[in-house]
Amino acid sequence: MSDHSHDLPFWKKYIFSVDHKMIGIQYTVTALVFLAIGFGMMLVMRYQLAYPNQPIPVIGQFLGEPIVAAVENPDTGETGYVLTGDGYNSFGAMHGTIMVFLAIVPLAVGGFGNFVLPLQCGAPDMAFPRLNMASYWTYLPGGILMMFGFFVKGGAANSGWTSYPPLATIATTGQTIWLLGMVILITSSLLGSVNFIVTVVQLRAKGLSFFRLPFFAWAQLVTAFLLLLAFPPLEAAGVLQLMDRVAGTSFFDPGGLIVSGVEQNTAGGGSPLLWQHLFWFLAHPEVYVLILPGLGIISEVIANNTRKPLWGYKSLVYSAIFLGFMSFIVWAHHMFMTGMGTTLSTFFQATTMIISVPSVIILTCLIISLWGASIRFTVPMLFALAFLPMFGIGGLTGLPLGLTASDIHLHDTYYVIGHFHYVVAPGTIFAMFAGIYYWFPKATGRKMNEWLGRIHFAGSFVFINAVFMPFFFMGMASVLRRQFDQTETLHGAAVQGLSVMSTWGAFGLAAFQLPFVFNFFWSIFAGERVGANPWHATTLEWSAPSPPPHGNFLSEPVVACGPYEYSVPGEAEDYTMQSPPPATA
Amino acid sequence: MSAAATEIPYDMEPHPLTRMYNGKFGIWLFLASEIMLFGALFSSYVLLRVGAPEGTWPIIGAPTVLGHEILNVPLAALNTVILISSSVTMLMSWYYLKENKFSRGQFFLLMTVLLSCGFLVVKYFEYNSKLHHYLVEFDAPLVVDGEQVSYSRTYPTAEGERTVHYLHGHITETVKDEDGYVEYYKFAADARKPDHGHAHDDGADHGDSHAGAHPEIELRPSDYRRMSNWGPAGSTFTGIYFTLTGLHGLHIVGGVVVMVYFLLTGGSMWKKLPDKYANRIECTGLYWHFVDLVWIFLFPVLYLL
Amino acid sequence: MQLLGQATDIAPYANWMPPMLSEHGGQIDNLISVLHIFMAILFVAWGAFLTYTVIRFRARAGHKADYHPVKGKASKYAEIGIGLFEVFLLLGLSMPVWAAYKNNPPKADDRVEVRAIGEQFQWNFHYPGPDGVFGRTNAKFIDAASNTVGLDPDDPAGKDDIQTIGEMHIPVGKPIYVRVSSKDVIHSFAIPTMRVKQDCIPGMEIPIWFTAKEDATTERVKREMIQEFPVADVDWYRLRHHVAVQDYQDESGQVILKEGEGIGLSREAGEKKLKTLRDVTDTIKMQPRNPLEIICAQLCGNSHFKMKAQVFTYDAAGYQEWMDNAVPKEVEIDFGGF
Repeated sequence: MSDHSHDLPFWKKYIFSVDHKMIGIQYTVTALVFLAIGFGMMLVMRYQLAYPNQPIPVIGQFLGEPIVAAVENPDTGETGYVLTGDGYNSFGAMHGTIMVFLAIVPLAVGGFGNFVLPLQCGAPDMAFPRLNMASYWTYLPGGILMMFGFFVKGGAANSGWTSYPPLATIATTGQTIWLLGMVILITSSLLGSVNFIVTVVQLRAKGLSFFRLPFFAWAQLVTAFLLLLAFPPLEAAGVLQLMDRVAGTSFFDPGGLIVSGVEQNTAGGGSPLLWQHLFWFLAHPEVYVLILPGLGIISEVIANNTRKPLWGYKSLVYSAIFLGFMSFIVWAHHMFMTGMGTTLSTFFQATTMIISVPSVIILTCLIISLWGASIRFTVPMLFALAFLPMFGIGGLTGLPLGLTASDIHLHDTYYVIGHFHYVVAPGTIFAMFAGIYYWFPKATGRKMNEWLGRIHFAGSFVFINAVFMPFFFMGMASVLRRQFDQTETLHGAAVQGLSVMSTWGAFGLAAFQLPFVFNFFWSIFAGERVGANPWHATTLEWSAPSPPPHGNFLSEPVVACGPYEYSVPGEAEDYTMQSPPPATA
Repeated sequence: MSAAATEIPYDMEPHPLTRMYNGKFGIWLFLASEIMLFGALFSSYVLLRVGAPEGTWPIIGAPTVLGHEILNVPLAALNTVILISSSVTMLMSWYYLKENKFSRGQFFLLMTVLLSCGFLVVKYFEYNSKLHHYLVEFDAPLVVDGEQVSYSRTYPTAEGERTVHYLHGHITETVKDEDGYVEYYKFAADARKPDHGHAHDDGADHGDSHAGAHPEIELRPSDYRRMSNWGPAGSTFTGIYFTLTGLHGLHIVGGVVVMVYFLLTGGSMWKKLPDKYANRIECTGLYWHFVDLVWIFLFPVLYLL
Repeated sequence: MQLLGQATDIAPYANWMPPMLSEHGGQIDNLISVLHIFMAILFVAWGAFLTYTVIRFRARAGHKADYHPVKGKASKYAEIGIGLFEVFLLLGLSMPVWAAYKNNPPKADDRVEVRAIGEQFQWNFHYPGPDGVFGRTNAKFIDAASNTVGLDPDDPAGKDDIQTIGEMHIPVGKPIYVRVSSKDVIHSFAIPTMRVKQDCIPGMEIPIWFTAKEDATTERVKREMIQEFPVADVDWYRLRHHVAVQDYQDESGQVILKEGEGIGLSREAGEKKLKTLRDVTDTIKMQPRNPLEIICAQLCGNSHFKMKAQVFTYDAAGYQEWMDNAVPKEVEIDFGGF
């Protein structure tokens, strides 16, 4: 497969490219757009939560029915647009869906995985370049189809990203579109994961044994296995729910349901719990898909900016593998409140406790890696350092949720929202930012502006905690999730102040993303030009030019050492590359 | 500046660790995910069967829980033979290509396609018969002119007993009123299935006075609780049956599309890269054997157990 | 075991938790407290180590990184210690509580039974009445106004059954056995103050049980939850579920807020009333209208947030009085208005 990229027409070079770097950039840009859309939905929801049933300012008029309803102010006669219960629920369901399936995973896996992995393996491209192109061009239509739900009668899917039947079965057309979109997205993911695994196993450069691979590559490998094996049950479940909705089957319908006073005339005999088991069988490994690439990125950034090898590389690798394996047997800890007996819940509590061990090991290895270091506070490193305690908070708050007795009080409250957002938002998304600042020079040949990056970091760090820290206290006070108006309950009204704080935190967070957006685009054209290895890093991607040509390396990489040979005693430089590039004349 | 190498390594030659070329490894990984897909559906089958209320599996009023109460075993057995044969012809196609005998190889590929189409034709007849067969559920026995025209069956349950009232048969005519709503159906009921003395059915026949087929009866929508064909909506068994065999059928169609593509374009790839073409057929063969294997599980699980 | 953060008194939101009014709830609160202390210790330890290393090992002139990994058994011992503590949490604190919550129902002759049936968007309650036997129910008898549980009129056991919408009436000090189910979609029966939560899965009837503490009668809880609010600082949202415990009059003697009255069902009305109150008084003494709430903890549609019911707890005499007078009635659920 040797296409000479300088001979390719525009549409083959930029649109239907088979080059992993271009595809990685396509995934990155598309995912960031979806991230912004999901973020925007969250801002509207947070406004409603802080100021229930008050008109949405500025954009309320553009949202349309059924998301908003026009309300006339009796005093002033002005028309305001108030969010409706259905609109709130559709934003909630789509915010979750977009963030998980259209933004984070495509960015972490499709974006970073595609761009960096073949380079770190010393390969000229992915094992199956055309399959790679197909996976992007399945993701984009799938994502657009999902968004199309907003334009059908009844609006987008509004039964939570978890789509529990029977609610999802009786929901409006948007839910069918959600299911069709999911089937397409799962196909895209499948194509990608096959590619990643074959690439890491078969295309490693000479001398690059498995235990000389950067931890980022290991993280992506485990992630690819999770995607490969965990998604199909959700695809099956999606097909079953589609049939319940469209073909009148009763897979999730026990029969005799009375909806709005009308008895439903189906065969019955099914179970809503069947959906939950199939869904969570994917969705639990999915959360490890969300975090592992981020842990991989953080590891690279920490090794590079501590100028020493990572502490406990082998522990990191074995923990990642063990984590991947364990992730398949904890899923029912999302279902503790469904009437589960003690035998089943004991099993899942035990596996949930066990799975916390590799996570703790990984975090501890990364923190200990700082000891004896020479820490450079570059922008990627700022995000990586912040990631560590944030991921710690996210992981620790999983403990009360994983034990059934405490889960009785905390299940389906804001505590859960706080827990998983700490892991994904100041966790994974900070890792994504770290990765963008870190690999931007490799992709473009230019560095992003350092000072804008510092401002972006500082503001994001402060305000993201302002958004999510109140959630733990709201959860302890029993404020439930997916509540259009939390002040409807006594305890919700009592802690409304925390909600207001969170909303203003969200607006502050939004404001501090502007320096990043500006920096990203401005630096593409006017950033400081850099060479192949501006960070003085060791892994193979830095042996290629910035940006790498089609085929990646000017001379075939031959690896003679591990991935983190920094500050090797007796060496002239404080970094030893795995395969140094040829000396330029 | 241009790169040192742009060729993907191990595209054709096997990798020392896996002893497979890239495509073969990729297909095996894909098959692993397919195992999870069909595995999830088989698991759903188990959960649905275990959770089905008495007297509803595989369909309302069935004397036993065995799939063949409503499925045609001989036809499915024929399909099994057809599909296994197609796996053999698939293997032979690859063998002859490796032996450098292109036209023989393409011939067996064509045979595989024809056998698959045969499988799909048989499936068409199976599905068609189900979609035209109807079940009717009643809350209480339907009595016309003093005679009970519906059947009843009683099943032992954990809490005692459960009696279902039902009819199976065909709609011979649908009569509508001026507004287009159904006034009544002319329904030709099947004979009641005899009990085979299985432990599941207590044999007691409450209120049923007929063993043979009824003449045509008129059924008004107000007479019954539910009417459905034996399609997916009929019962959870028919639902999972259509889903499992339907998804399997889609996989067969997908395989046929790929094979037809190779039949039409194989010649040009064979001229330039014969080994690569043989590899492609090998990968297709692996996929095909998997599709066959799924059927080997589907057939006994759905039809025999 | 009294630990930091345990809400044993009827104090509004002591340490962010709602008042704890059931007999098993203390163990749950206990576990949550222990967990958070453990989490805090780990976080502070990690954080301190992180801060120390970031300062001590920052890049500066003359400072080189050390290629060799730091040795020491401290991390291994810490890891083992954490693992052992987690085992203690699981086996010692969580599993026994969960087992009691799930495995040891109160004996049939020593409990008060009630059925809770969720539907979009209300809670229906079915009581067996003085004979203690539930009448048969069937969907075909359901009438939204008069017979929401579908009681069979021909069943003699059902003649004395009581139905309510949105109200659960129970005695204190006796085990309450709630059979939870749903008519349409998955709901979740949750009483935060009793520390109970159970999903309502259509097609299943799942039992849960709890005992309200002896002193947790509704009237007493309302009295204990009297709070003085600074009028200048609160908004309508904060006070919408509260009623005044005394009259508030303006200078002319006109009563602007009566005892037992709330400040308004809508935000506009409420803010207006608060404005007039600000001229009259610095603080207002209020208590919750209904402190013991039942909420729905599983998304069930566009009015999921409004699916509320109230628990009324009585001493033995009060409960008997209620039962004697009970007739199926509609309760005005305070929607709060828009």
